[in-house]
Amino acid sequence: MKHKISFILNNEKITHEVESNKTLLSVLREDFDFTGAKEGCGMGECGACTVLVNGQPINSCMMLAVDIEGKEVLTIEGLSRGDVLDDLQISFIENGALQCGYCTPGMIMSAKALLNENPTPTEEDVKHAISGNLCRCTGYQKIVKAIMVVADKNNNQ
Amino acid sequence: MKNFDYYKPDTLKEASELLLKLDKSYIINGGTDVVVRLRNELMEPDALINIKEIKSLHEIIEEEESITVGACVTMNEMAHHKAVIHDFGILVDAVHYAGSGQVRNLATMAGNICNASPLADSATPLLVYDAKVLVYSPNGDREIPITEFFKGVRKIALEKGEIVTGVRINKYKSVKGVFRKFSRRKEVDLSTVCSSVASVDGEIKIAFGSVAPIPLRAYKTEEFLKDKELTDEVIKEASKIARTEVSPIDDIRASKEYRLDMVELSVVRGLEHIRDN
Repeated sequence: MKHKISFILNNEKITHEVESNKTLLSVLREDFDFTGAKEGCGMGECGACTVLVNGQPINSCMMLAVDIEGKEVLTIEGLSRGDVLDDLQISFIENGALQCGYCTPGMIMSAKALLNENPTPTEEDVKHAISGNLCRCTGYQKIVKAIMVVADKNNNQ
Repeated sequence: MKNFDYYKPDTLKEASELLLKLDKSYIINGGTDVVVRLRNELMEPDALINIKEIKSLHEIIEEEESITVGACVTMNEMAHHKAVIHDFGILVDAVHYAGSGQVRNLATMAGNICNASPLADSATPLLVYDAKVLVYSPNGDREIPITEFFKGVRKIALEKGEIVTGVRINKYKSVKGVFRKFSRRKEVDLSTVCSSVASVDGEIKIAFGSVAPIPLRAYKTEEFLKDKELTDEVIKEASKIARTEVSPIDDIRASKEYRLDMVELSVVRGLEHIRDN
């Protein structure tokens, strides 16, 4: 059963046809070639598929694409403005907050949602905000640091 | 994932009619359980009926004597709602540990109880609050006490065509108690054992998850505690009675013996908390 849905994807109005049995993640990756969000566990435990829906982080592997009708989706690809990277992306690069990179898009989207809601979080807030994102390489310290650098910058502004 | 038909009715009546009309049709709400079950082909519906277009199900209604949480209110919306935080701290604590933030932005409490997992995070607080499950029924709306809602693993007291519209909890004069979750990780994990132990308007109420086919109340233990002062001896005896009221199994997360010990520990710590605070 196909459904025509309209939604906003990375600030662009989209009308698209999807099958009922496609997840948001598979539609983002296969139909739009936005391959930043990854499938890790496929059951809501790893957060590699995290994107923002109406500003809130969600697991795109657990949402049917038909359910996205009328909503606003932001993926890692929508975070930069042209060639200008988001502060979080720059900070992750500068602080070496990734190794294999598989968790990075999800990690950054969770951090983005936190900073949108609270531009000056504590380290505890940051750890809590990324608790639904698993990283198997870094031990999290550099990830937390990269996010805190942006938070501290916000604090000084 | 096999394909299926998908409907988005605007009213409960339409949703219920679809459920009655279509074979192998199910409700989808937050989707965090359903989509995983679809993916693993544990569920192969002919049709899914999304109830999230039904506006009235998204409300939290505060009245003088109770609060009603609509079926489509997400766990995060509920856990950040002032009145819910004020009156139902044990529930907020429990929901806070359900899945991850990403999951809680989609998942709902109604979905959590309808999924009827033995370890549903929101079940034990609802049991000690004696919550009522509100049900739309083609034969007229009805209420099911949460203590009669769970019928088995993934089995609930709904008839065909019925839909949970929300959960209503009474505002009690005084509630003192704790939710406790034993799990391997602090965040994003399923309970090995979970419990709510509370004094609700002076009466001790105890509920456990993950130690029986359904989340359940420990009625014998509660009966034993009636009108008793919470001395160390009474607490110890209560915790031994609680062990006899559950029937845990060995599984991937823990052994039966460990679970029994955690049941005992939950009662001891819970009652001590009530006594000392």
